[in-house]
Amino acid sequence: MDWYPLYNSLRIAAISTVAVFFLGIFAAYYIAKLPRLVKGVLDVVLTLPLVLPPTVVGWLLLCLLGPKRPLGAWVLETLGVKLVMTWWSAIFATVVVAFPLMYRTARGAFESFDQNLADAGRTLGRSNTWVFWRVQMPVCKQGILAGTVLAFARALGEYGATSMIAGYTPGRTATISTTVYQLWRTNDDLGALKWVLVNIAISAVFLLAVNLLETRQRQKGGGH
Amino acid sequence: MIQNGSINMKKYLSLLLALCLVLALTACGGSKEESAKTEEPAKTEEPAPETQEPAAEPVEITVFAAASMQESLNAAIEQYKTVAPEVTVVTTYDSSGTLLTQIKEGASCDLFISAAPKQINALDGSLKDDAEKNPDGLDVVIQGSRLNLLENKVTLAVPEGNPAGIESFDQLADLLKNGEVALAIGNSDVPVGQYTQKIFTYYEIDEAAIASKLTYGSNVKEVTTQVSEGAVDCGIIYGTDAFSAGLTVVDSATAEMCGQVIYPAAVLNVGDQPEAAQAFLDYLTTPDALACFEAVGFSPMV
Repeated sequence: MDWYPLYNSLRIAAISTVAVFFLGIFAAYYIAKLPRLVKGVLDVVLTLPLVLPPTVVGWLLLCLLGPKRPLGAWVLETLGVKLVMTWWSAIFATVVVAFPLMYRTARGAFESFDQNLADAGRTLGRSNTWVFWRVQMPVCKQGILAGTVLAFARALGEYGATSMIAGYTPGRTATISTTVYQLWRTNDDLGALKWVLVNIAISAVFLLAVNLLETRQRQKGGGH
Repeated sequence: MIQNGSINMKKYLSLLLALCLVLALTACGGSKEESAKTEEPAKTEEPAPETQEPAAEPVEITVFAAASMQESLNAAIEQYKTVAPEVTVVTTYDSSGTLLTQIKEGASCDLFISAAPKQINALDGSLKDDAEKNPDGLDVVIQGSRLNLLENKVTLAVPEGNPAGIESFDQLADLLKNGEVALAIGNSDVPVGQYTQKIFTYYEIDEAAIASKLTYGSNVKEVTTQVSEGAVDCGIIYGTDAFSAGLTVVDSATAEMCGQVIYPAAVLNVGDQPEAAQAFLDYLTTPDALACFEAVGFSPMV
């Protein structure tokens, strides 16, 4: 069996998770400090990909990144690089759909963070950066980790937008989800079943991890 | 995960919900108005309420047709509204392979127009004993209704400006075997993909060996979009799709390369209105209807 889709799906999910990890926590940190109205609006906009169908996300991405569209054409001309139809094109899609998960979980963790701890750090003369990474993050660790794992699982399970923006080239842009669809479409039910089981196994493992992390957070007494 | 219990958050949420409700109501209100207008005469969709015939029973027929027929068949259906105003034609356009699967899975369909004989063969009871053509031994086609309606051409289309300088099938075959090119084709369940495979065989190209240069679409419109968006260097689609999408065709496949591209049509016994469907199929064989197909590049076979 050709294992490329597994390798491709995992690396796309891993890279997106790293990107989403930083984007998510920084968005959550800075947006929490904004005035209520701006915070409310940004909240809606940034959570939108969570509830939009992936085909809508894919369509919007193509409108922006296609070789004849504003951003895509500019990149093609200046850098000679096509943003669609490559294995890493899928990363645009997975980052957009996984971001809200990280963002909301991080927001939740940060908002139930006891500011007294941060203030204590500041009275001892520590910088905001130090307080964030050495006090706030460790305290919110469970929530952050849960968000990261959810984002990874979502990125691994992306289909609609990935299919539209990366196409399906076996051995190059194929992911587990697009492979299952193609195998089903070409009447290779056994092949499709194998990948379905692989995907279920990996996703189940990650969701189990989320449950364990959330249970531990609750037991700790802190958090939400 | 909405953990913020503050009153302000709830206020904004309710404001947003109210806004969405208002938008939804205006949208629904608009469409209700339109349907109310057309509901006046006799619960049908005809634009001209003055018809000579007495108001006939409104009838709805379901047509499954190959994606490549979308524009032309829609035009023929518009014309049909003046001929038989009581008939509403509901269409589903997709890869003929997808449509065949849907019919096999129990979809209700009156008329099936496929982009290759293969899909209708699989439903033709007269071929029940031919395990290759009708592997599941299905008997869905109403005998006597099947006919070859149209002929199409398999072509090589390029995006605007032809950035990769693709000139012909011969040159494409060479690039696939020895050079670099990004080609979009239909997958093996799609008729145009099946014709492409025949072209590969003609040029002795091993599809597995050139896999990294191909991207597979699940129907011909998807392949066409990839070409028109410039996401690939070229695509193998029908001449009619290239015409409808305004794409430049650099070469056409000969009958020697992929055989004749025949679109058969048949009335099925898994629909509710076989007589109305037969009447519609008869209409499609008239010069008026055929003109719609010829306008985009089909050749009539009737």
